Amino acid sequence: MVPPNATRYITNPDVSCREEGPDGALLFNPDSDQVLLINPTGLVIWRALEGPRTSEGIVAFLMERCEGVPEEAVQQDVADFIATMIDKGFVGTWQGA
Amino acid sequence: MGAASRPRVPSAPLSVDIALTGRCNLHCKYCFYADEMTGLQDLPTEQWLSFFQELGRLAVQRVCLTGGEVFTRPDLWTLIDGVIANRMRYSILTNGTLISKETLAQFEVGKRRLRLDSIQVSIDGSRAEVHNRSRPNSFDRALRGLRLLLEAKSPVTVRVTVNRHNVNDLDHIAHLLLDEVGLAAFTTNEAYPCGIMERQVEGIMLTPSQRLQAMQTLTELALRYEGRISASAGPLALAREFRAIDEHLAAGRTNIPGRGTLSGCGGVFTKLAVLHDGTIVPCHQLATLHLGKIGVDDLQQVWCAHPTMIALRQRREISLENLDTCRDCPYTGFCTGGCPGGALFLTGDFNSRNPMDCYRVHRGQDPYYQLES
Repeated sequence: MVPPNATRYITNPDVSCREEGPDGALLFNPDSDQVLLINPTGLVIWRALEGPRTSEGIVAFLMERCEGVPEEAVQQDVADFIATMIDKGFVGTWQGA
Repeated sequence: MGAASRPRVPSAPLSVDIALTGRCNLHCKYCFYADEMTGLQDLPTEQWLSFFQELGRLAVQRVCLTGGEVFTRPDLWTLIDGVIANRMRYSILTNGTLISKETLAQFEVGKRRLRLDSIQVSIDGSRAEVHNRSRPNSFDRALRGLRLLLEAKSPVTVRVTVNRHNVNDLDHIAHLLLDEVGLAAFTTNEAYPCGIMERQVEGIMLTPSQRLQAMQTLTELALRYEGRISASAGPLALAREFRAIDEHLAAGRTNIPGRGTLSGCGGVFTKLAVLHDGTIVPCHQLATLHLGKIGVDDLQQVWCAHPTMIALRQRREISLENLDTCRDCPYTGFCTGGCPGGALFLTGDFNSRNPMDCYRVHRGQDPYYQLES
């Protein structure tokens, strides 16, 4: 399910991110003891989510950095990434001001 | 026979074993850390907390807190909170004697319990007369601590270190821990000729016949208790290893893929260790190989580029057939050379096989090394 557009997302501050060169990065949630391997595109999204952003904001962020990629594909990738990350507790919704 | 493939080295260790203190309230007969405990000073709280921040920046996932006895540190909970604040999980190795109801209450604060992987208590006998011979005056207190942890549903494990004093007590130990105390499982190891035991080999280290006895007894107990007794080293692990070699030989095989080199240690691809004075070492079993100091040397640089770490990782490219001790051994194709810590202790060179893990030594057929009898 694609999350509502107005919602702003942010990484779980307890999750660590270890960049592993061209392989992407290893995310570790010490509360759940879960590890996730994300590819370089996922790492760009992860870094973007270190501050609160809407899914549209992330899509725009990625479109600025990717040439020749259809926006619909980026939207789907972002939606899938966020849904997976929320499901596993690696990303939450921003409750701040 | 090709060299074993070398695992990819991550950008930083996934875990770090940390001796938080050199203080201990016991004086165990086989303590491998005894020399370091008397010779080095504990670091203050602030330096450990600063180190945990460095580990957090490197996204280290977990630490194992040991000593000495960690519960002798009055600032232990501050240090554990420092681990938690830096996005890590932790485990504890303890003799169990200082565990109290207050300890259990402390574990319930914040995320201390959530982030605790395991707390391992050492039990070396089914009764005081046996346990106390290797771990003096501690059986009742250790067992009380163990029971308290179990009652609190803590993720408690037990390590039994097999030695000359408890080799005839193993079935009683299994009965105590698994039937009476109600532990889910326990692990075993063996007292090694290193540390303080180096000076007490004849008093506590298993003789060859006792080692064989321990292998047989633990194999039978592991079957009887259906997987509730395990080991990654020591008599039970060796029994499984040597049985596998016999089975491969009986099937007419000449090797096991990936073996035949000094590939016995994967730890150097995933973890580092730190002594209680802040000295960085590859492993507490390799405590004489000093790689640097926390707060002085960059841990990531040590991990990636220290010549000793590189040499330890390249160890698995050394074919056993190129070692004088192994060249004519019929088991080289099945062997990994064992633990480099044992090799260093016993031969002075980590690029050699560990005689304690050697099938030919075990069978009394090795021309270079004989177990102490």
